[in-house]
Amino acid sequence: MYSIVLSCILGFLILESQHGVQSWSLNNFLMTGPKAYLTFSQSVAAGAMHGMEECRHQFLWDRWNCPESSLPMFTQNALERANRETSFVHAISSAGVMYTLTRNCSLGDFDKCGCDDTKKGDQGGEGWKWGGCSDNVNFGERVSKMFVDALVTGKDAWAVMNLHNNEAGRKAVRQTLKRTCKCHGVSGSCTTQTCWKQLSEFRVIGDFLKRKYGNGLLVDYVRGGLEKANSASEQALSPLSKKDLVYLEASPDYCRVNVSAGSMGTVGRECVRGTKKSKDEQGKWEKQSCKRLCSTCGLKVKKTKVIEKSSCNCKFHWCCSVKCDECQQEVTKLTCQT
Amino acid sequence: MAGAVLENLSTRKLIALCVVLLLFQAAFFMLGGIIAPSPTTAYPHLTNKCVDTGKHRHKQQWFIPWGEFACEKIVDLEDAIEQEIVANQIVFSIEIPNRPNKMSRWFQYILTVMDITIAYHNENPLGPDPVITMEISLGYRNEGDAPGDWKELIKTTEERKLECTFDRPLIPESNDYTYHCDPMPFMELGSCHHDYYLINIRVPVHEHKDINLDLGKLQDIHIIEIHQNGGFTKVWFALKTFVTPLIIMMTIWFWRRVCALNRQSVLMERTILALGISLIILDLPIEWLTLSVDIPFMLLISDIRQGIFYSMLLSFWIIFAGEHLMDQTERNRLSVYWTQVTAIVFGCTCLFVFDMCERGVQLSNPFYSIWITDTGKNLAMAFIIVAGICASLYFMFLCYMVYRVFRNISVKKTALPAMAKARQLHYQGLIYRFKFFMFFTLLCAAMTVIFFIITQVNEGRWKWGEEHTVEVNSAFFTGVYGMWNIYVFAVLSLYAPSHKDPRKYESTVQNGDVSGSSNEEYELRRTLTDSAATEEPSELYRMTGKTAQD
Repeated sequence: MYSIVLSCILGFLILESQHGVQSWSLNNFLMTGPKAYLTFSQSVAAGAMHGMEECRHQFLWDRWNCPESSLPMFTQNALERANRETSFVHAISSAGVMYTLTRNCSLGDFDKCGCDDTKKGDQGGEGWKWGGCSDNVNFGERVSKMFVDALVTGKDAWAVMNLHNNEAGRKAVRQTLKRTCKCHGVSGSCTTQTCWKQLSEFRVIGDFLKRKYGNGLLVDYVRGGLEKANSASEQALSPLSKKDLVYLEASPDYCRVNVSAGSMGTVGRECVRGTKKSKDEQGKWEKQSCKRLCSTCGLKVKKTKVIEKSSCNCKFHWCCSVKCDECQQEVTKLTCQT
Repeated sequence: MAGAVLENLSTRKLIALCVVLLLFQAAFFMLGGIIAPSPTTAYPHLTNKCVDTGKHRHKQQWFIPWGEFACEKIVDLEDAIEQEIVANQIVFSIEIPNRPNKMSRWFQYILTVMDITIAYHNENPLGPDPVITMEISLGYRNEGDAPGDWKELIKTTEERKLECTFDRPLIPESNDYTYHCDPMPFMELGSCHHDYYLINIRVPVHEHKDINLDLGKLQDIHIIEIHQNGGFTKVWFALKTFVTPLIIMMTIWFWRRVCALNRQSVLMERTILALGISLIILDLPIEWLTLSVDIPFMLLISDIRQGIFYSMLLSFWIIFAGEHLMDQTERNRLSVYWTQVTAIVFGCTCLFVFDMCERGVQLSNPFYSIWITDTGKNLAMAFIIVAGICASLYFMFLCYMVYRVFRNISVKKTALPAMAKARQLHYQGLIYRFKFFMFFTLLCAAMTVIFFIITQVNEGRWKWGEEHTVEVNSAFFTGVYGMWNIYVFAVLSLYAPSHKDPRKYESTVQNGDVSGSSNEEYELRRTLTDSAATEEPSELYRMTGKTAQD
């Protein structure tokens, strides 16, 4: 049953990507599917998109900038790659799916969620009355696993690696959960204390996975499992953690165009040059982007002056800005040129 | 209180009693740890962002997150700008509980915590000392009612101070990162009488009134709902229903023993009776009523009942130590203990006033919390600090008194061989009684503290093999509750006057001696003037009786 739904999503995603449309309404495609899966698959698609958006944000100033074509669902039948970047894409999209499912569960979007898997809580009947239900995060994790891991077929090195990275993505969501407690005993004392876990914002998960990407491990496929490569070093002797991102092959040179390797090259990419010193790590990375994207790739930096219209002097409310002026601003744009 | 059951009980019987009580104790712990689920569960809800299109201006309109009468929703507040929706049109809405469940009266209470997500935007940062003003309506519906038929429970306007921090530099690059805001107390319902609850929250902006102007970029409102698990309530009710008749029987038995003495009861006995009665008050399972009647003040009553019991327990300790002081002062009057009892009463009154300010006011407005305003916070802290000072004063008194008792014990012990037989026996009885009591009390107190620490440190659930889990929190509640019941039960049974040797009581009454201390005084006078030859036969009987038993 899942396979029908999944192939629908897949077909839809491919279709949409060809048209470059970014609206992800699956209604027309999935009306035939069972109702429960319909609602889940919408969230799954939205979650995967959310993951990819975050991927693009995280790699905005890197040579590889998370192009649309790197969404794992697209590459199902295409040439498989197994480098550091693919590992990130797999992790962030699986995290995105888990995140969105969890969030939608706590919104009450689904007929049933969170309450349907533990032995204590069955379907809101006596189980819920007796001991409550499992939390929404468990639900998100389980359904994400069901949907995303099902996309990985076969039992080869590629499959094992992708499953590992999908899991690492979900672990990242778990590891960034915030735990909060409330004391509500007699006179507000802590004799009775109840704790719960909540999702961090998705940006935090993106940052977390970007760090994991930096510390990604090159692995070998040995006897159906993964082992750290360069096993001569002492570090390699420790077992592989489920939380780490792993990859099987080295990344291509992202300076040059190599479509089969998944590289679009950096020609035409916009970059930023640092004028003032930035204190935080991310700012520094951003300010060095012209050097990284253009200079070290043997490209020149081209300056163009553009007049941009934007709203300014806005008066904000907590939601929905109101009363903006329209300003025209001359902006200098830097791009990499041959 | 001469000749308690404890002194006349044979070692074998005493051990048997201890074993039975220990078995009960183990059963209480297992009841909570194995049968009951965790005491409470928290359910994080994310509010749906409904849009008020203004179609039904004329009547009270509810914004329902799902179902037949679901409101128009937007997923992301960013979408609102395109659709020309303004802040005043947005209604945050949640229904408790999530589909497909319904609430149960077994849940006893509902309390909710509010967690607001605010994103940083360099042009629209959070202002200094931000206050959020909300128009809240709380509605309920029961199974069998029409789907859109929500009835209003309360409608109110509430303010909450936001306590938020931002741990990144305030530059455009930090946009979209969120502030860390402390969760705020939101609502507390003392009863869970209906099947479904609906909360609608508006955050209106009024420029001329300067309301909700510098809230930053509000993204989400999370409401975390907490209630007591039905299974825990059932186990709890069962426990209370089981112990109540036992304690009632024991208290009646104790008092009949005292009345059978042909003399006025002494302070010690009256205190133990009061302790028994206060425990009966605590135990009485009046919570059963909540299953059929809506009693929002049940939480308050429970707090008061607990307060009565604990203040009685503390008074009992002081009086017990005082009556075993073995110095030559006449006590047996409550006024002797006025300092300690004042500390207890004052401390408890403070906590009571605080509780009335919090839970009492919540009866009329469940969204009220004393902690949300600065004055309220200070006042609450003042009450708690005063109560804390009273508690520490009390424990200093108690420790000093216990220290004096032990000092007197060691003095008496060295003097013991030189004493007359009767006096020796009398003091031995006092010492034995006191030491047993001290040991028992310390054991109970230590167990309470240890289990409290365990529940605070642990995640709440212990794995026991593959399948079994032990609910530490539930075990703590049932175990400690059962333990104090056993404690009072043991005190009632072991410190009741013994009727093993009725002649002895007659003699003491004849001499006008009723309490341990006055008895001692009498003996002291007597031993000063008299020799061992004129000892009363009753004391001799008692001695021989006791050695025979041992």
